[in-house]
Order: sequence, then C-alpha cells, then structure tokens
Amino acid sequence: MDYLEILRRHLRLYLVVIIILNNIVLVGLWAAGLELAHLSPIGLVSCSLIISAIGALAIVYIGSNLILKPIQALRQAILSLSPDGQRTPPPDIQNLKVGRELVASMVGQINQLSSVARQTSAVNETQNHELGRNFIAQNIPLPLLILDPTETIIFANSAAAQYIGIAADQLLGKNVYMVLDMAFPDQNTFDRWLKQAKTANATATASWERVRLGVRDTHPARLFDLAAYYNRDNPDKIETMLVLFDHTKQYSQDEQAISFIALTVHELRTPLTLLRGYIEVFEEELGNSPNVDPDLKSFMQKMRAQAEQLTSFVNNILNVARVDDNQLELHLEKESWPNILKSAVNALSLQAKVRGITIHCRIDTSVPEVGVDRLSVQEVINNLIDNAIKYSGTSKVINIDSHLTKEGLIETTVQDFGVGIPSNVMQNLFTKFYRDHRNRAQIGGTGLGLYLSKAIIDAHGGTLWVRSRPGQGSTFGFTLVPYAKLAEEQKQNGDTDLTRSAHGWIKNHSLYRR
Amino acid sequence: MDTNTNTQTGRTVLCIEDEHFISELYTRALTKEGYKVTNVADGIKGLAEAETNQYDIILLDLMLPNLTGVEILRKLRDPARQPAIRSKIVITTNLEQRDDVRADIEKQADGYLVKAELTPHELVEFLNKVK
Repeated sequence: MDYLEILRRHLRLYLVVIIILNNIVLVGLWAAGLELAHLSPIGLVSCSLIISAIGALAIVYIGSNLILKPIQALRQAILSLSPDGQRTPPPDIQNLKVGRELVASMVGQINQLSSVARQTSAVNETQNHELGRNFIAQNIPLPLLILDPTETIIFANSAAAQYIGIAADQLLGKNVYMVLDMAFPDQNTFDRWLKQAKTANATATASWERVRLGVRDTHPARLFDLAAYYNRDNPDKIETMLVLFDHTKQYSQDEQAISFIALTVHELRTPLTLLRGYIEVFEEELGNSPNVDPDLKSFMQKMRAQAEQLTSFVNNILNVARVDDNQLELHLEKESWPNILKSAVNALSLQAKVRGITIHCRIDTSVPEVGVDRLSVQEVINNLIDNAIKYSGTSKVINIDSHLTKEGLIETTVQDFGVGIPSNVMQNLFTKFYRDHRNRAQIGGTGLGLYLSKAIIDAHGGTLWVRSRPGQGSTFGFTLVPYAKLAEEQKQNGDTDLTRSAHGWIKNHSLYRR
Repeated sequence: MDTNTNTQTGRTVLCIEDEHFISELYTRALTKEGYKVTNVADGIKGLAEAETNQYDIILLDLMLPNLTGVEILRKLRDPARQPAIRSKIVITTNLEQRDDVRADIEKQADGYLVKAELTPHELVEFLNKVK
C-alpha cells in the first residue's frame, strides 16, 4: 500500500470519527434538552443550531490542520536545505499524526536530491580550482595566462612561468601589467583593447604580432604574437585569457640587424669623438696664438664642419635603421619652436659659413608652442639645411621661414636658389637611397636624409612637401601640430604619454601610470 | 673658454673610460676647469674605486672590459647599499641603445651623453651644471 493511500485512509478515518462524535453530541444534547430541561421546540432548534455550527467549525479546523501538517513538514524540510535558510530546523516527523510515512519518504527524497546537487556543484568548484592542475592547461607548450576582472593573474601554466621568467606561484595574484611588460608595434595595445572590450562587448577576441616582452635585468627580450579572449560573463571570473606564441628567433633577426648597425655606429663614433675633441683643442690653441696663418684657422673650421656633418650622418644611419625596424620612438613634448629652429640653424651655420653661404631665418611671432620630439625634428631641420647647402650651387643664400598656416599648423620652409630638382626625380625624392643620378658624381650624400625626415614628420602628424624648379632652386616645407591640439587629442584618447606610433614601439600605456 | 677657470676647484671626477685618448681629452678639459680627475679603464677597478673613494661626479662609459657600465650603475645605485653612494653619475657612451633600455639607464643616472655629439668643452659645460 503506498503512503498516499495511508494518508487518505487516515484522513477519512479522522473525519468520520469527528463527524460521528459531533452527531452524538448533537443527538445527546437534543435528548437532554427534551427530557431534562423541558425546552420549548424553538429553544431546542436554536440550541441545536448553535451546537452544529460549533461542530462544523471544529471539523473545518481539525480537518484543515490534519491536511496542512504534512505539507508544512515538507515545506520545512525544503527550507532547511536551502542555502540561505540555514536557520530553519528540519521537521519533526515523529510527532506527525497523519501522513508520517508519506512525509518521511518525501523528506528522504528531498535530502537525496539536495545532496546530489551539492555534490555536482562541489565537483564543478574543484574542477575550477583544479585548473592549475589541469593536465591540458598545464602541459600545453604555449604560455597561457588567465585574468580575473581586475586584471589579476589567477592562472599561469608552467610554459608561461618559464617564458616570463617568474615562477608560476609568484605570478598568481599579481596585476598582469606589473608582470608582463609588453610593448606593441603600434597604438593598438592589449590594454586599450581590453578597456574597450570591457565597455562594449560581452565577449571579444584579438591578436597582435611582434609584441615585445620588456627587458628585465637578467632576462633577454622576448618577441611573440599574442592572442587574447575576453568573456565578461564567465561565472568563474575567468574573464580574459592570453596565449603567447613565441617568435623571438624569427623577429630578433631584425634586432640583430639593428645591433650590427649599433655596433658599426659605435665604432664610427669613437674616432669621431676623438676628432672633434682634438679639433677643439687645436682651434682653442690657434685662437689664442696671435701669429698664425689665417688659412690654418679656416682649415680647422672646415675640419670641424666636416666632423659635425659626419656625426649627423652617423645619426641618420642609425635612425633610418630604426624607422625600418619600427623602433624609432618619439616622445612628443611641449617645446618652443623658435628655440629649436634657432639652435638647429646655429648648429649648421658653420657648415654654411665654410661654403660662403648665409642663412636667413625668419620666425613669425604668432607661432605657438609645438608638440615635438626635439632631437628628431632637429634632425629634420638639419637634413633640409644640409641638402640646401649641398645643392645651392653658386647661390649663396638660404632662406628659412616659419609661420602659422590658415589650418592652424606650424609650417617651416627651407628655400635654396641652387640647382633645383628635375620633375622626373620629384616622385622618388623621399625614397630611401634615392639620389638624382646627375648629381651623384658631384655631390656627396646617401639619400637617407629626406626618407628619414619624411618618416619623422609623418610620425609627428605633419606633412613634408617640396616645390622645385630646375635651375631656380628648391623649397622644402613641413608642418607641425601645435602642442595644445596634441594635448587635446591625448586627453580624448585617455593616453598618459604622448608616444607616437607609425615608427615606434609603443609601450603598453598602462605601464606609464605611476 | 677659460674665463671660468678654477670655478670648479676641488670637485672630483672619476672617469671610467677604456678609450685612453678620450679620457686624456676629457682630463685635459676638466683639469683646466679646476676639476680633479681620476682615470680608470676597467669595469671592476672602476666599481672598486667608486666604492672606496667618494667622488663628486662619476663619468661612466657603458662598454667596458670585465664589467659593463650598466652593471656598475646598478651596483652603485642599489637601494640596499649602505651607505648610499652620493656621487652624481653621468653616462658617457657612443653605444646606441633601444629607447626603453636607455630610458631605464637614464632613470638611474644623473645624465646620459653621447660622446660623439659633444666636444670636451661641451662636456665640461654639462658637468658644471650637474649639482
């Protein structure tokens, strides 16, 4: 017999007993009222009406209680198991008069179900916590990092630890930007992507090439491709996954090329340092001596001019290599343009003077402060004036002019009145190693200067242009952006540092925050 | 150029430089200005000298035999060092570094100069301003 049937029988029995008792009381009272109290018929009827009303109420009360008790016990059983109902005690089944077996069996079922649910969630949790021990994650030969929503590393496999050069347990709990000093080839950095993903997407994926892992003191630089997956709604807070694909060997071939150039440059610079040092000593001594052949002084001046020219050429080589390898990094700062221009012109005045050339420099007072990388723009001016000197021919004047354009940019022009540039040459003018073949025999140079200058000006957000007529001379001009405008852009992008791309390794901007 | 002669009387300079001709030129220019110059051409000896005697300024080349300038700089600027080395350290090198490496070095030093870019006199002018 099943427990429900038992409950039904019990209920029927109780109800029948109650109704019979009620009727007995009613009949008994009726008889007693007639025989003993000699009540009138109206008194009898009203008395029995009252009694039966009381009886009906008693039946309803006792009956509903009988039915509700088991339901209440079940409810209590469920509540006592729910995780937020810790204060509800389990039901006292033994005291149940009706449906005890049914309730006992159902409570048993509920307990069983709940323990299964608990076990399943426990297994899930262990699986999450055991991610560290997870065979695949741990043994995959690719460095793998998992970040929580605060960009804290919550998992790093052994390949990652080895690659980064920090033990896995040391990585856990650290902010990813503190541990991974990543530099990206352009402005699309990882932190920028993540920031964007967090505000815009529930999930996102991205990949980067040629990411550089910062040079730690003892650790060689690493170059790798990076893939990242973002999932905002992951319940286990596995929000961001990073996988690194090492390409150090492949990518560092370019680096080696750069270090070969760096070495060559070093070897060229040492004798240059000495030459410039000795020339200075001689010029000093010649200047102090009254009876020296004036030719000697002028020869020494020419030697100095040549040494200076060679120094800037060496810098050109270096910077062209950097441009080609995306390693020229510009730090744009607020600078006074007249100051930079004047000091660059001064540096070249000796080279002009030894060739009998005069440089006229006119700077409009309306020129605002510029946002430039001082050394780089000095090189541009240097290259343009150097060219103007070289290609001046018999002309003895170079005009430099700087003013504010209608578009609000700072334009600087370098004008010579020399040999000019044939129109068929113009289009190749800014190509590396390109030089006008007709001039090749007469004028020295490498064809690096304009290529480099254009790259530098482009990276500043300006343009470099040329206007020329064969036989009448050339005008080279370039524009620069006012600092105020750059600062405004920077503010909008939320950048912390004005580091320009196109030619540079851009540091992951988070790293600049202090 | 000698109008300022002896304005720097007594300031001591340790020049850690393995290119003898360069240290010779620098010594000449610095001595004229009143500096007292000590020359060392080796990394390990240079570090030992910097640790033993207190110099006002240390001129530090990066490419050195036995111990590189970067290592010397790191050791001299080690925050755990007791007592701290008070000398101003000016890097003088012709070696071109990647910008981030250079920035790292510059953070620890009081100056970073490319030797080919300046004459001995210009070096002296720079050091006059290093206080």
